[in-house]
Amino acid sequence: MIGTYDFCAHYEWTFAWLEKQFGKEFLLSFFDEAIHRDSQLKAKNLITELGFEGMKEYWGHTLDKEGAEYTWRMGPDYFRMDMHDCPSKGFLMRNELEQHADYCDHCMGWIGPLMKEAGFSIDHQHNHRGQCWWVFSADGEDPPSVALESDENDVRRRKDWDDDNTPVDTFFRANGIPDKKNQTE
Amino acid sequence: MKNNPKLDPLPYHDRKPHGYGEFYRALNATFRYIDGKKGRSHLEKFWEDHGKNYMAPIWKKWKAGGLDAIALYWRAFFAHEPGAEVKVTANQEFVDIRVSVCPAIKHLKETDWEIFPHYCQHCYFVSEAAAQQSGYTIRVDGGNGTCSQRFYPAQSAPEKQNLSDIRLAQ
Repeated sequence: MIGTYDFCAHYEWTFAWLEKQFGKEFLLSFFDEAIHRDSQLKAKNLITELGFEGMKEYWGHTLDKEGAEYTWRMGPDYFRMDMHDCPSKGFLMRNELEQHADYCDHCMGWIGPLMKEAGFSIDHQHNHRGQCWWVFSADGEDPPSVALESDENDVRRRKDWDDDNTPVDTFFRANGIPDKKNQTE
Repeated sequence: MKNNPKLDPLPYHDRKPHGYGEFYRALNATFRYIDGKKGRSHLEKFWEDHGKNYMAPIWKKWKAGGLDAIALYWRAFFAHEPGAEVKVTANQEFVDIRVSVCPAIKHLKETDWEIFPHYCQHCYFVSEAAAQQSGYTIRVDGGNGTCSQRFYPAQSAPEKQNLSDIRLAQ
């Protein structure tokens, strides 16, 4: 039986297997169809129907259950989340696992298309060490400045945010992995 | 995060004592997706590769430790699965795993989720692939929430697994 206790390790192994067997495009389709439209159907429905309130309800519940250390804030026109200790990537790092080139991309892989359908765009960075930030706001508009303002919860203020050995992946007004801008900073 | 590898049957450890039940949905979706896009033979290969490759740290211990190591692993495995009710016993002939409450099927049913009908077959294909690497074989009987799984030494196995002995999940 494949279990849930080591699920993140299995999931990373699966991403590498799918990409090796069927190619990158198939993996991108997997993120969209198997995760966004199947296993995360509740998230899709919540966010599509309730917008920012749905994001609050979904991520508050799910990340608490997964044991994440994160903060969130929202306004009438945005939802922001700062992940300080990702339970999923953290599991891989603590167990010294790295089977797939960019495990962190799977979040953008399913959240991006979901947000597109719900009418939102994403500003996001991840540092491949269990830390990232996300701003969701209306598609087709610039993100509200208040959403991008740095406060004490901004994960980028951490001393360990930057690491010369690990690139930071950046997305602005994005809705999928192909929208990745660079791997710098 | 790793415990003493000589004593610990599990290769990886989390900070939480149990897995997160909703990950069963992701497994269910993964099986459905591969089956739907590529067909059953590719899904079976996915399961077999999982048993051979992902589970290599596990079956290497089975190979070294025999039936006792197999029993030790499954006791530890199910102790970390949310909602599992499973009894694992071993004798000199086989390891017997009695699943009275399968945590995956329980969670999927309780959350009224559409279950991939052949979900229970993954237990056979994954475990058989891992078992073969270590000189053992498995027979599965039941499914859809309760089943029995027995690991035998490959040379003393009963007749071949009949996949129709594994019930469809619904």
